Amino acid sequence: MKTWPIWIAGTIVLAAVLHILTIFALPYGIMDRAMAGIAAQAGGVNKAVYPDPVTAASRGIVRPSPDLLYTACVYDIGARPLRITSPVPDTYWSLSMFASNTDNFFVVNDRQTKAGRIEIILATDDTAKSGNDTPVVIAPSSRGIILFRSLIASDAARPEVDALRRQSRCEPL
Amino acid sequence: MKLVLKLLASFVVALVLGVGSALLLLRGGAGLGGAIAVGPWTTSAETGSADADPYTRARIAIGGLLALSRSETIYFTAATDDAGAPLRTRCAYRIIGTDPPARWWSITAYGADHFLIPNPQDRYSFGGNTLAREDDGSFVIFVGPAAADGNWIPTGEKEGTFTLTLRLYNPNEDAARDPSRIELPRIAGEACPS
Repeated sequence: MKTWPIWIAGTIVLAAVLHILTIFALPYGIMDRAMAGIAAQAGGVNKAVYPDPVTAASRGIVRPSPDLLYTACVYDIGARPLRITSPVPDTYWSLSMFASNTDNFFVVNDRQTKAGRIEIILATDDTAKSGNDTPVVIAPSSRGIILFRSLIASDAARPEVDALRRQSRCEPL
Repeated sequence: MKLVLKLLASFVVALVLGVGSALLLLRGGAGLGGAIAVGPWTTSAETGSADADPYTRARIAIGGLLALSRSETIYFTAATDDAGAPLRTRCAYRIIGTDPPARWWSITAYGADHFLIPNPQDRYSFGGNTLAREDDGSFVIFVGPAAADGNWIPTGEKEGTFTLTLRLYNPNEDAARDPSRIELPRIAGEACPS
């Protein structure tokens, strides 16, 4: 009996499986690498890093905007929730959160905050909700990236915006 | 022994076909581009969204990791000029338009590797707040290797292709609902040395 048709069919099925696995695994792999890079710069997870403005020498994250100052933390809330605090400047500013599969599951910008400050708790479930009013965001994955964007509207505005973003914190509860 | 060899050969062929076809498919996309087109600019409605299909998610991971979802920011990317010719670092272009409907916007040039293009001027982008305007409020941005008066984004000294990303931060409600109806700048190809 000829076996080559079975071999060809088997190879095609295996190729299809590997194709699907690649497509599904790639975002996790790319996020893992980005998280490792940010955590290495910050000196660990659940800590913020305040990189310099991006230039052509910036090779960490693809397609960065040179008009923004980025501040980032890798979150790992498997054991404990995380408290995120930051002053909010008088310019475009946003706080966004990304799950381990790259999904942008939360974003808030300066116009949606009050009194020039923000405080948020990031947790895997709502048991972190305590008596106070601090909003709790439920993350779809226990690891991911928190990213602050601050717009540099002009060279004159840069020092103040830079000083403010360096007060952004990620701290385990 | 023969069976082991056959199994190994089958696995190698499947690996090359499966992984290779996946990477080839994903490489086709221009960074943050997608199925919605306005002239040479394209975007995806699903960027950053949990509704993104696995291919879109993988493509964004490669060419636009940590991009925001479209209620916050719409990212349009162009890999060609208005005539459909691929953008090349040795050619000169004029981006002509008026402010798109957003709180703040910017246009940035990226090399084929998705990173900023090295240039002695350290100039990579112009935003609604930083560019010089014409008398009627419209703008022209020159993109190319040779210095130009006014708003100039240098494309450096290396030969290659590049892409442009237009960011619309806090787009107007109509724009976020239907990005395909936004009026976007034209990208006119100028001199291109052969």
